[in-house]
Amino acid sequence: MTMLENKPDTDLAAEHKRLQRRVNRRRWLGYSGIYVILGIFAIAMIFPFVYMFFTSLKDTSDVFTYPPRVLPYEAETIEVDGEELPVFIIDSVDGEQREMVLVESGIEAGLFADESDLETTVAVPLEFATDTGRTVVVDGEELPIYTVEVAGDTQDLVLLRNTAVGKFVDPDDPSVVGYAVVRTAEPAERITANWGNYSEVLGIRDFDKSITNTVLITVLVVVGSLFTSIMGGYAFARMNFPGRDRLFVAYLGSIMIPFVVLIIPLFRLMVSLGWVNTLGSLVWPFIFNAYGTFLMRQFFVSIPKDLEEAAYIDGAKRWKILWSIFVPLSWPAIATLATFMFLYAWNSFIWPLVSINGANSEDFVLTIALQTLGGQAGEGPNLIFAAIVLSVIIPFTVFVFAQRYFVENVATSGIK
Amino acid sequence: MTTAEQTISTDATGPTGGHPPWLIAVIAWQAVVAVVAIVAAVGLATGVLFDFSGVGLVVTVTLTLGVAAAAVYAIPHLLAHRNRGRSVATLLQYTILVLGLIAAIQEMGLFRGIDALASSYRDAWYWTLLVVLGWIIYSQAERIKSAEKAIQRVGRYTMAGGAIILTIAVGVIPGTIEFARRLLDPEVIGLTVFAVVSGVMFFLLRRSAATDLFETTVDEAEAIDGFLFVSPNVFGFLAFFAFPLVFSLFVSFTAWDGLTEITWLGPDNYIKIFSLQFASVEAGQAASDVLSEGYSQAFRFGDVIMGARDPNFWIGMRNILVFAFVAIPLATFPALVLAALLNSKIPGMKVFRAIYFIPYVAGILGVLLIWKQLYNASIGFINYGILRVFDFINAIFGTEFVAPQPEWLSDPNIAMWSIVIFFAWFMTGYNAVLFVAGMQGIPGSLYEAADIDGASWWKKFRNITVPLLRPTTFFVVSTTTILGLQVFTEPFVLMGPQLPPSGPGNATLTPVVQLYQEGFQRFNQGYASALAWVLFVLIFAVTILNFWRQRRLEGEGVG
Repeated sequence: MTMLENKPDTDLAAEHKRLQRRVNRRRWLGYSGIYVILGIFAIAMIFPFVYMFFTSLKDTSDVFTYPPRVLPYEAETIEVDGEELPVFIIDSVDGEQREMVLVESGIEAGLFADESDLETTVAVPLEFATDTGRTVVVDGEELPIYTVEVAGDTQDLVLLRNTAVGKFVDPDDPSVVGYAVVRTAEPAERITANWGNYSEVLGIRDFDKSITNTVLITVLVVVGSLFTSIMGGYAFARMNFPGRDRLFVAYLGSIMIPFVVLIIPLFRLMVSLGWVNTLGSLVWPFIFNAYGTFLMRQFFVSIPKDLEEAAYIDGAKRWKILWSIFVPLSWPAIATLATFMFLYAWNSFIWPLVSINGANSEDFVLTIALQTLGGQAGEGPNLIFAAIVLSVIIPFTVFVFAQRYFVENVATSGIK
Repeated sequence: MTTAEQTISTDATGPTGGHPPWLIAVIAWQAVVAVVAIVAAVGLATGVLFDFSGVGLVVTVTLTLGVAAAAVYAIPHLLAHRNRGRSVATLLQYTILVLGLIAAIQEMGLFRGIDALASSYRDAWYWTLLVVLGWIIYSQAERIKSAEKAIQRVGRYTMAGGAIILTIAVGVIPGTIEFARRLLDPEVIGLTVFAVVSGVMFFLLRRSAATDLFETTVDEAEAIDGFLFVSPNVFGFLAFFAFPLVFSLFVSFTAWDGLTEITWLGPDNYIKIFSLQFASVEAGQAASDVLSEGYSQAFRFGDVIMGARDPNFWIGMRNILVFAFVAIPLATFPALVLAALLNSKIPGMKVFRAIYFIPYVAGILGVLLIWKQLYNASIGFINYGILRVFDFINAIFGTEFVAPQPEWLSDPNIAMWSIVIFFAWFMTGYNAVLFVAGMQGIPGSLYEAADIDGASWWKKFRNITVPLLRPTTFFVVSTTTILGLQVFTEPFVLMGPQLPPSGPGNATLTPVVQLYQEGFQRFNQGYASALAWVLFVLIFAVTILNFWRQRRLEGEGVG
């Protein structure tokens, strides 16, 4: 009985399991498709930064190689008898390719080739070649034929011309030697990290000062704009005064006006106030922010009125209500606005380009310093890239800690 | 006691109870303000006081006359104990307080003092780390529930301590001494005293005694409070937005190099921008033979030459429209698909979202300098990558395609495409995150219902996601368009310094690049302002068009 009853059950369970497995398999197939597409885009997004980081660790000699490579390399050296000797990849006399060090250069040698294939040449010191006395005519020129030791055996080869080679020795086994033209020998390389680029870039053109300037400006703009936005947002959200709604519409409209319309008059204003080429011109105009006021107003409107009415009846002043009730409740909106203003102040370019470009480099901000550095033909990409790394460290760090708010900032601007 | 009750309780005494001494002081000060303002206006107009001319003169004289008028207007109302007088006087005294202090600070040169602050901050910046550490402790407190309050307190004290040490380290003490020294300047003293007296009057008018005397209602009090709360913002808005905006419109009708006198031109700048001439040429004729004086060739279509008084404007317009038509779809469609994938409920999506956001966080300038290396025609990774891909294809199919190795930044036919590719790369991740935010607002029940009906992924995407995402799409397309039409940094950094930002053969001449060249290299600031307004109208029109299209589509969706 029990068996009869159980049988369909186990069947059903097995069927269910099989189906489940199939669904799971299909789901994972779909997942891996998604991961592949997202992964490709992620690589496209991240590759320039990986390239940036590794290039910032390159030696100047390593920057202009072809084919281009991501990782930083340096010429390998080995210490032999207290001397740092460069290592090359050489065909040793026994015909094997090894990493060897250069011990002697300027050895008289000949460039030899087979009579039938004059393109493939080999450089061999003359002491390993003996003149056969025979000659051959190539392109109307009479060339001698030598008996040459190549890779362990002897061959009769044509001497094309005289040259000089270096003598290379395997550092592990000094009995193994090889000869090659030093100029064209392939140097052995190892991965390196030239952190010196960073100290160098901090020293040139006041780049360190640009960083502290940018930090200071950003802090002032963020704090200042938060203050005015919170005050203004509260007034628009909660207080009635004549012309409020018209003023608010004007604020909203101002968000639509592109900044380029304001550049010239704002620049003239800076000139007449004597602020041009000073850091003040990057701070004061930007602590009054229509977008921030709008954002704070939208958040304050959503806070229930009961909360403040209770406090109001207790005789609390508006000022106190704002800072002790509204602000603590609005941290998400404030943090979002702060990240927005942070990126805005940190990355602004066209305005500093106009307003402080004439200043001396002590007053530069990062974007201008980078632009100037990037424009100097003399500076290698490794130094420029070290500067870029320095300029992104702080935003990246802030992003890691405040990622939620960065994304929220985007999300709230989308709701608008 | 609430304000309303106070008003009722003082109702019995009425305005006939005489003027308290503080009100007499306020009225007297109002009179002083009026006289000083009129004298100042006369002084300004005659050039005795300061040396303003043109716009500066008009603005300052209007301002001072406005102050005088407000001061005079308030006096009879104050005498009659009418609240209107209190309101006007309060706002006037507050304005004088603020403007006076700002003028004093400007006179002392403190607004420029950020430079000094920056140079002392260089030696004390590391104290910022203490503040940051405090903030990290504070913000991470919620992870340890048992000791949340205590950890928050530690964080707050660390922040406060760091801030105090930082203030001292950047030189608040020598700063204060310097401040006091500069305060001794007679002009500064005058301005400060005037402002402070107005501040005292403002304080007297704000007391509850004034509320009683003027029978101020709750609504009237709230109106004044509202003005005061919004005032920091409004002062800044007027000074750094409204005034420049009006001034910009004015300048666009003038010829001005920024140094010498402004010359009124009327609409000439705009006429010059839009002046066009078409002419046909025969073989052997040059463009200058068939075009009128002052015109030069902008484009040539076969035998027809399009001439313009400012060919650069038309070239810029063509460039930006081509750019917009290609770059905006490239920056939005892939982003939409990515967002749909990112919105799947599978692990790791947050990591991908963060990765896609990185270019936006890194900032456009650094990223552009990286791309400049990638675009390098002979040793850049992009050309090398193309080569490898072609090698791969040739090796597999036995074909013999020759890999193109474009001169990305110096070929006139390609330079703009380099900017298009960069723009799409830069915006895609940001837009994808925007789309994801919009998608998270779509109710999941809709997808569940579609799942029951057995709808495919594509069907769901097409029939649920896309229509319900329209507001976000509108926002994404609008912001991308607004940014795209103002492309400047990209050509400026990618082309420079070997080439001007207008690129090889004006290939990357965009309207903002032209504006920059006219305004800040040739110093035709009047003409540049006119260009700015034309660009603004273009951007505005495109945004309205977008908005209108979105509304229409929305209407269809409902019907």
